[in-house]
Amino acid sequence: MSVLVQREAAEIREEWLGRALSTLPADRPAAEAAISGLYRLIGLAPPRFHWVASPAAALATVPRGVRLRPSEAVERMSEWPLPPRFAALMRELCRGLDAQVRWVHQPMDRLIRREVRSSLSQSTASSILVPLRVAHGSQYRPGGVWYGVQCVSWVAHYDALRRAAGVVFTPEQIQQFDLWATVARSCGWWWPREGVCVISERPVTVHTEVWGDDGEARLHCADGPAVRYADGWDVYAWHGTQVPSWVIKDPSVGRIAQEANVEVRRCAIEHIGWASYIDQAGLRLVSSAPDPGNPGSELRLYDMRKETRVLLAVNGSVERDGRRRRYGLTVPGFFDDPIDAAGWTYGLSAEQYSLLVRRT
Amino acid sequence: MTVTLASLSQQTGLAVLDHLEQSVSIPVVDGLQAQGDLIVIPLSVVAPSVRPWPDAGWTDVPPEGVELLRGAAGGNPHTLVADPDICRWTTDVSDPDGLAIGIFETSAVAYLLHPEHGATGCTPGAYVIRRQREHEGHRARLVAD
Repeated sequence: MSVLVQREAAEIREEWLGRALSTLPADRPAAEAAISGLYRLIGLAPPRFHWVASPAAALATVPRGVRLRPSEAVERMSEWPLPPRFAALMRELCRGLDAQVRWVHQPMDRLIRREVRSSLSQSTASSILVPLRVAHGSQYRPGGVWYGVQCVSWVAHYDALRRAAGVVFTPEQIQQFDLWATVARSCGWWWPREGVCVISERPVTVHTEVWGDDGEARLHCADGPAVRYADGWDVYAWHGTQVPSWVIKDPSVGRIAQEANVEVRRCAIEHIGWASYIDQAGLRLVSSAPDPGNPGSELRLYDMRKETRVLLAVNGSVERDGRRRRYGLTVPGFFDDPIDAAGWTYGLSAEQYSLLVRRT
Repeated sequence: MTVTLASLSQQTGLAVLDHLEQSVSIPVVDGLQAQGDLIVIPLSVVAPSVRPWPDAGWTDVPPEGVELLRGAAGGNPHTLVADPDICRWTTDVSDPDGLAIGIFETSAVAYLLHPEHGATGCTPGAYVIRRQREHEGHRARLVAD
């Protein structure tokens, strides 16, 4: 496989990731025309379109003048009649497109599956699906296929097969594929009911960071919402973990103490910084010892909460600003000796960890 | 020849951050050493509880190195680097603590390179590379720096 083809696949992945994370206003005429085309393909007349500013608004409001059947209430989305019909249409298209993949294309198909499709599907799950889960709250069923049908990952896969691997599609396949591709790049999420389709605008702010080997993105913003919609509805995230807004805006020791979720507590402490958190929380020092292999630095063990202590260590190498970062590692509460605790983090005894010659 | 951060970086094509001292020779160590969230342990220290599977698949470490682990944000990798035909590597490792990434055997000095932590050398021998863990409720979480 040529490096050029691989590079092209990566470029196509970045193109679709950019579309998935786009904050541009929707292209409403393009989105409405493409969704109308998909309605026609399942034998229905184009619906009336109802645009909303955010997924939260889409799930909380009913279009004016519409009387929903009980089976089309938000709480019963898994029973809605249209999503399975669109999903079947999409699966049929994919089966047809897969059949166009000849043996010569197969190595490329495998590469695209890994570097484009699976990467984008992970990026989507850790970015734009997060606000959707928050909007649904406890009603969210991750198994629901409808949002998967709208994921850019499969669209990007076939787009890459066509553009980078030279797989030939029939005119009918191109026609339908273009409808799906147009929807995917023109608007936010959409909820099809009979006669009316609700479409969300895209967010106005999206902050992500790259974290995976194949360019996977996840939500992160240290000083504001990671995702915000024009109606003010927003979602906060710390290195991919969705958190309450206080974790980002006002991460205080008091709030951390009251927080039941261990992941949320960890994010808030990391935001404050372990060393300041330990000072502010007044954690009791259990013991300290010189860090073997890290001359001049101490390992300090503090009481944190029931059955948990925290080991404050100093990084072995300097940061760009010339300082050494201090970081906390939570350890089981039965350790009294910091060397024991440090050893445990690497699966070693205190005697074994004491043999440490160098830390960078 | 003296191996420096600059020459290793050139050999592997891996960039290192420019605040690190690039021209001094890299320390070579024959014992335990930690590089951020990774630790290199001479196999004899943890054997026999940690060992390669009897049918482990070994691969030679290529000139561009073997990526051991990527960091959390930004994706800075820890890379194992060695001259051709001196170092082999396997991920088929049995480790009761489940922390081992792999084992390498080297007949000359091999290096571990990281853009932020710099480089460190290991004398000839067999080593286990393990990740770091944290305690969380009743389970452990792997650390990624």
